[in-house]
Amino acid sequence: MMSRGLRCFGFGLLLVMAMPVAGDARIPADPLDSAQWETMYRLFLSDHPVVFDDEVKVLIAHTAENSLEVPVMVDASALAGVKRVIVFADFNPIAKILEFEPLQAQARIGFRFKVEQATPVRAAVLTEEGRWHVGGNWLDAAGGGCTLPSVASADPVWTSRLGEIHARLWPRKDHRRLKFSVLHPMDTGLAAGIPAFFIESLEVRDSQGEPIATIRPFEPISENPFFSVDILGRGPVSLSGRDNNGNRFGTALVSPAAH
Amino acid sequence: MLIYSNRLHVRPAALIAGVSLLCSVGTAHAAGVTDQDIINDAQTTADVVGWGIGPRGQRYSPLKTLNTENVAKLVPAWTFSFGGEKQRGQEAQPLVHDGKIFVTASYSRIFAIDAKTGEELWQYDHRLPDGILPCCDVVNRGAALYDNLVIFGTLDAQLVALDRDSGKVVWKEKLDDYKAGYSFTSAPLIVKGKVITGVSGGEFGIVGRVDARDAKTGELIWTRPTVEGHMGYLNGKESGITGELNATWPGDLWKTGGAATWAGGNYDPDTNLIFWGTGNPAPWNAHTRPGDNLYSTSTLAIDPDTGKIVWHYQFTPNDGWDYDGVNETIAFDMDGKKLAAHADRNGFFYILDRSNGKLVNAFPFVKQIDWAKGIDLETGRPIEASARAGDPSKSEDGKKGEVVFVAPSFLGGKNWMPMAYSPDTNLFYVPANEWGMDLWNEPITYKKGAAYLGAGFTIKPLFEDYIGALRAVDPKSGQIVWEYKNDAPLWGGVLATAGGLVFTGTPEGYLKAFDAKTGKELWKFQTGSGVVGCPVTWEMDGEQFVAVPSGWGGAVPLWGGDVAKKVKYLNQGGSLWVFKLPKA
Repeated sequence: MMSRGLRCFGFGLLLVMAMPVAGDARIPADPLDSAQWETMYRLFLSDHPVVFDDEVKVLIAHTAENSLEVPVMVDASALAGVKRVIVFADFNPIAKILEFEPLQAQARIGFRFKVEQATPVRAAVLTEEGRWHVGGNWLDAAGGGCTLPSVASADPVWTSRLGEIHARLWPRKDHRRLKFSVLHPMDTGLAAGIPAFFIESLEVRDSQGEPIATIRPFEPISENPFFSVDILGRGPVSLSGRDNNGNRFGTALVSPAAH
Repeated sequence: MLIYSNRLHVRPAALIAGVSLLCSVGTAHAAGVTDQDIINDAQTTADVVGWGIGPRGQRYSPLKTLNTENVAKLVPAWTFSFGGEKQRGQEAQPLVHDGKIFVTASYSRIFAIDAKTGEELWQYDHRLPDGILPCCDVVNRGAALYDNLVIFGTLDAQLVALDRDSGKVVWKEKLDDYKAGYSFTSAPLIVKGKVITGVSGGEFGIVGRVDARDAKTGELIWTRPTVEGHMGYLNGKESGITGELNATWPGDLWKTGGAATWAGGNYDPDTNLIFWGTGNPAPWNAHTRPGDNLYSTSTLAIDPDTGKIVWHYQFTPNDGWDYDGVNETIAFDMDGKKLAAHADRNGFFYILDRSNGKLVNAFPFVKQIDWAKGIDLETGRPIEASARAGDPSKSEDGKKGEVVFVAPSFLGGKNWMPMAYSPDTNLFYVPANEWGMDLWNEPITYKKGAAYLGAGFTIKPLFEDYIGALRAVDPKSGQIVWEYKNDAPLWGGVLATAGGLVFTGTPEGYLKAFDAKTGKELWKFQTGSGVVGCPVTWEMDGEQFVAVPSGWGGAVPLWGGDVAKKVKYLNQGGSLWVFKLPKA
């Protein structure tokens, strides 16, 4: 909590935020010292005060073994009242990786993404108090992940299994972990001659159809994406999604694994 | 004349509609396109909201700011590149509404462009599988506008509706299985809140169909197969089979009978009928399927509310030459009669009574027709000459039937490229081609996703100096009033205007303007690649604009036989050109 206090952007400056002319003073100094930080702030975070917060954990390897598939776990479960999570990579040609709304879930999500070059990977967590809590780490990478064609783009029959979902629920002490994958090329549009083609919404719902969590993936999410979400409550859940071409997909109810 | 008195009654309403549309330009939340906007499209000069520039498809604009006196001064206002590495045939008709142009391009792409500046507003590239099976180039002929949606079909047989402001997909429906040869390349038609589509794939033994969906949601309302024996549906319930099982088809061949509905349709508000054309019966080898093979090579008049076929007229019974009947059927009035006109692949120009489909007149619009001596006006049937390719099963080795030379070629006296009708001159302006073919039959069996022809062919020009001919056809006398000859085959749509002008493009790269009365060439502009798209015109800020896509391609370079020699030097492209007069 010390670090939060040190990096916190004081309340007094909220007045400045309301003024029409944006000043650099609104932007806290970047602990990761990224040249893209100000741009990221303007793209994603300028609507609320920003604090760097160690309670927002971005668990990631130091170096990407495979730039097409970098595993990340974002964990902001120590924060109360999390409304929305944005994950972005400063130096990716498409910076935003995903948005996550943990409605009846913990503020924790695991996934894999494509990295173009060495970059900070950050999560910004909007809490009910109206403040962005930001955490992150540098990821070293050989690069090229966003501009390579998907494996599916070379497969003439990728349409036959498009949108196929595999899902399972794993019991944990105070929640359940939902792991699922969706078969999808997740083309970024940056590889020559292959249009952008990616899942843009995923919904987890309970058996009554009430939303548990909403995920909005963007182009940098890896091909055939894999997500893990820690959900609250009991009973089976269902998954549904849609891509930017309007293809819809979903599962029937996923029941908890037998134990 | 009655036609003029009709037009005078229409004009004041049209002017009011035009003014209100002009006023709406620039407002933040302009109204979406309504059914009334679509019905009035031919009269409203500030926009082009549908295929055919009006539901009847006359492709006539009442604008006369640009006319025979000043068209020579026409210059580009801006040009827009479709980009990408895949530059193929650009056959689209652009749409214009609320200061935006919506134009489709090859490989199932669509662009929204600021009509004033030529700047891109958004672009949607449909992600296509590698296994698409387009028979005749990866074209798209245009979109449809309804409410806040812009709707277009794709090469993998999907129908995509996008938000016209953001370019985001609002709904998407699968028309059919692309792996079986289905695709959709034509502009959807909007009738009474329904989006009407056909299917392509007649070369793969698919079954043609006309579908109607709720334009706002994509939900299927009715479907009407175009081959006899297949069941139609209305609101999820069976609505009767098409025709009568085995009445004009032998055995099981109707199950893969073709009659693809690939070229789109028009709507006539007077009779409340959709006029939709059907393609060749499959396979090409007609000896396998004795009988008329309904409803192939026909214009179908379909009730837009139920999908019922109200009447049909078949142009080429038991077609053995790939004379698709898909060309547009255009409602027009003559001598106080409600008629419809159709220039067929088979070389004849037909005048039908559009209330019942009865033949009124039929005459040639090309120089040489070998397959028939004429059309019997009593029976409505062709008087066939003996120009059918031989039956391969009767040949010595059973592998190849007797070869015949027959004109027109299978690419037709006229193909998909829509003609225009001017109520000022009372003439149809027909983009015709003069060519024949060597044709023979081979044995064939159906295999899903494989070409289903049972025929071989090569196309040959009939004349040294030209293939293409833009012809002004008088529907009353059956005479050709004037013609413009073009070296390469014509493959683009036609536009007529009240300014006494007729516009069309050439594969050599020109957009040309002709005097509607005399055929005199008044203006041309080199667009840098072949023009096989459909020109449109509209008025904006007191100026008249003309737009046409440029980009050589389509079926000719892929299927063209000897004709390819005349076109092989033509380079591909992909752009939209917009023209206007210089400001005084």
